[in-house]
Amino acid sequence: MLGLIKRWKALEAKGIMGINRRNADYVLKYNQRHLYPVVDDKIITKQRAIEAGIHVPKLYGIISTEKEIENFDKIVAEHNDFVIKPAQGAGGDGITVVADRFEDRFKTVSGKIISKDEIEQQLSNILSGLYSLGGHRDRVLIEYRVTPDPIFKSISYEGVPDIRIIVLMGYPVMAMLRLPTRQSNGKANLHQGAIGVGVDLATGITLKGTWLNNKISKHPDTGNAVDGVQLPNWDGFMKLAAGCYELCGLGYIGVDMVLDEEKGPLILELNARPGLNIQIANDCGLTLRTHAVEARLAELQSRKVVETAEERVRFAQQTFGQSKPEL
Amino acid sequence: MRSLTLHLKVLVILLVSLGVLITAYQIFILGIPMTEDETDDLWNIDAKVEFQASPREPVKLQMFVPPLVQDYVSLHESFISNNYGVNVNRVDGNRIVTWSARRANGNQTLYYRLALTKRYSGEQPNPKGPIFRDSQIVEGAEKIAAEALLAPIRQHSADVETFISEAIKRVNNTNDDNVRLLLGGDASAENKARVVDLLLSIAHVPLERVHTIRLTSDQAQTPELWLRSFNGQNWLYFSPHTGQQGLPADRLIWWFGDSPLISLEGGRKAQVTFTLNNNEINAIRLAQRADETTDASLLEYSLYGLPLQTQQTYQIMIMIPLGVLVILILRNLGGLQTLGTFTPVLIALAFRETQLGFGIALFTVITAMGLMLRSYLEHLKLQMLPRLSVVLTFVVVLIAVISLLSHKLGLERGLSVALFPMVILTMTIERLSITWEERGGTHAFKVAIGTLIAATLAHLLMSIEELTYFVFTFPAVLLVLVGFMLAMGRYRGYRLTELFRFKAFLKD
Repeated sequence: MLGLIKRWKALEAKGIMGINRRNADYVLKYNQRHLYPVVDDKIITKQRAIEAGIHVPKLYGIISTEKEIENFDKIVAEHNDFVIKPAQGAGGDGITVVADRFEDRFKTVSGKIISKDEIEQQLSNILSGLYSLGGHRDRVLIEYRVTPDPIFKSISYEGVPDIRIIVLMGYPVMAMLRLPTRQSNGKANLHQGAIGVGVDLATGITLKGTWLNNKISKHPDTGNAVDGVQLPNWDGFMKLAAGCYELCGLGYIGVDMVLDEEKGPLILELNARPGLNIQIANDCGLTLRTHAVEARLAELQSRKVVETAEERVRFAQQTFGQSKPEL
Repeated sequence: MRSLTLHLKVLVILLVSLGVLITAYQIFILGIPMTEDETDDLWNIDAKVEFQASPREPVKLQMFVPPLVQDYVSLHESFISNNYGVNVNRVDGNRIVTWSARRANGNQTLYYRLALTKRYSGEQPNPKGPIFRDSQIVEGAEKIAAEALLAPIRQHSADVETFISEAIKRVNNTNDDNVRLLLGGDASAENKARVVDLLLSIAHVPLERVHTIRLTSDQAQTPELWLRSFNGQNWLYFSPHTGQQGLPADRLIWWFGDSPLISLEGGRKAQVTFTLNNNEINAIRLAQRADETTDASLLEYSLYGLPLQTQQTYQIMIMIPLGVLVILILRNLGGLQTLGTFTPVLIALAFRETQLGFGIALFTVITAMGLMLRSYLEHLKLQMLPRLSVVLTFVVVLIAVISLLSHKLGLERGLSVALFPMVILTMTIERLSITWEERGGTHAFKVAIGTLIAATLAHLLMSIEELTYFVFTFPAVLLVLVGFMLAMGRYRGYRLTELFRFKAFLKD
């Protein structure tokens, strides 16, 4: 009992954010319920992003009724590889990644050959709400297939690694690189067994990681060290993430991004209730940083100044950068 | 934000204090018992009146009955008499029953029966009484004796109260010549009272006789005489024997004044005997009975005012917030993961029907089989509604089979299953399988166990009878609960499980 109280005190001193605090002080306070559809529906997110000039994987087409399934050929006519997604899917369910065409059929990224009939069946399933959580009707999104930058080859196992940055009122507060593992089946969700690796906000150099709530420094599948890797185009990621506040209006979000070989940083999706394991990956509590941002906001408000995305990024990098001495 | 916090604090304090106040009012002012086991004394008093009626003459018998202005509440009052007309009326703070008959012959017996208890008395009326009176006229030796007695009494007293008790003490001192003269050799309480009355009247202090019955069982008794006087605020009661002040708690005032207990016309040898007995009865039942017979219907606006069958439903319903509170604490303070928010409460309610052990077994078996079916249906790629319908039907069939089997095996417990809410089970299966797909089998298992633990705890809490009684009798307690829930709504501390989840931070 006494040990638990001591642990409580120690966590509090480190500024570790718990679920109750995240919900009460951030999610409920900064995220207005009526804006949730913007992040829950990937199509709306994408349209908003395009309007705001924020980079997202190119949208090839939308299918919203059974009748429109016949448009599928036309949508993918000029593309050999593409991704089919349910707009309101969760946890990566119902996503088909087509890597190539094979005669009249399609070849998925795992090498399976599927016919056009099977694809149409899949589209119909998505429309009927098979993959949306509430079971209500959904729409299909067909978009550009991201090719991950080769930089991740050494520290990743299959799948597409993504970068999550938590953004409070437009200020990036913490970042993490999520690497799929054998256990996570190529998915980048931490609770499915993916690795989270902290990223220094100032430089984009990776720190140590977390795997199933433990601290790690090597990838369990490849054995390569996960820390000390310089992520390319880091400022691009930061600006992209900071711009998402204007995009969706939600004050506390997790921005999931990928680094495409050709197009650079792209936004995949936004999350209105970002998880807390990012703290373990960065070995740093969120509360200290969010408090710093809130203090900054209060100060700016008293001066009646509104900062641009670039200024916010600069503030975050100056304040939260972990310029660790070279070993 | 700050004003919101203040708003919330005020609301919480308001609700909690309102709940506590109402409950305290019910317990301390209305005197509603806090547990169901609490019992109260119920007194049955029989006054038996016997007399010989004169032939060919109408009979009219008048007897005082308790005015019931004390803290006793009458539950039941009856006048038992053959061929007599009964009439009760109030005269000068007394109640008088008049039995009358045109013709009666031989030995007559009439009964007055009263059942009363010392609870749930309503507001006492403000006491009123005279504080001055004219002196009785005395002359000769008596006058001198009285004045000789009064002089030291005046000296030894400070106010009305001490004056009266001093006077009574003096009158009881039979060695005093003056007292002996005034008593005239008769040392009965009645005569002492007369002398005290005389002394006080000279001092212009009013005095009234009070006739009481002592609440003790199995002991023949006659009304005991007390004296009382009004001091401007309260009535003060004195024993004519000792001058002791204050009416003991077990005395019931039967009537005031100088008149005898009964007066009879058309008969003779009237005699009254009192028989008392008491029994203990369940306090809350007593309150309900009191409710039926008195105007002070204290429980009328409580849940006891509902029809009995509705009451039983409410006894279950009113415990649901407590079950929800358990879930709230387990989830937000403990960090236990459960299936949905209130599913555990619903399952806990279902346990009422099946008993705990059997309920858990049933829940586990049906959910496990349902999950198997659900994972098979998954391959068929059905839409949600048809899929749910199939699972529900399967659950119904499964429950029917279990009932049949257990009946054949002679386990009557299996039959209670029929009422086990099937929709709850179906939804549990559906949500569990979604959890399984999204977060994996381990997590689904963890959630299922968490749900069972939460449901079990909620069920155990909700089936504590004392607690059910308490919440049902004092529903204002729920306001306190709401206050707590509101406060929990802004709880920011860690959940217990987070202390373990984040322990990686403390390794350095």
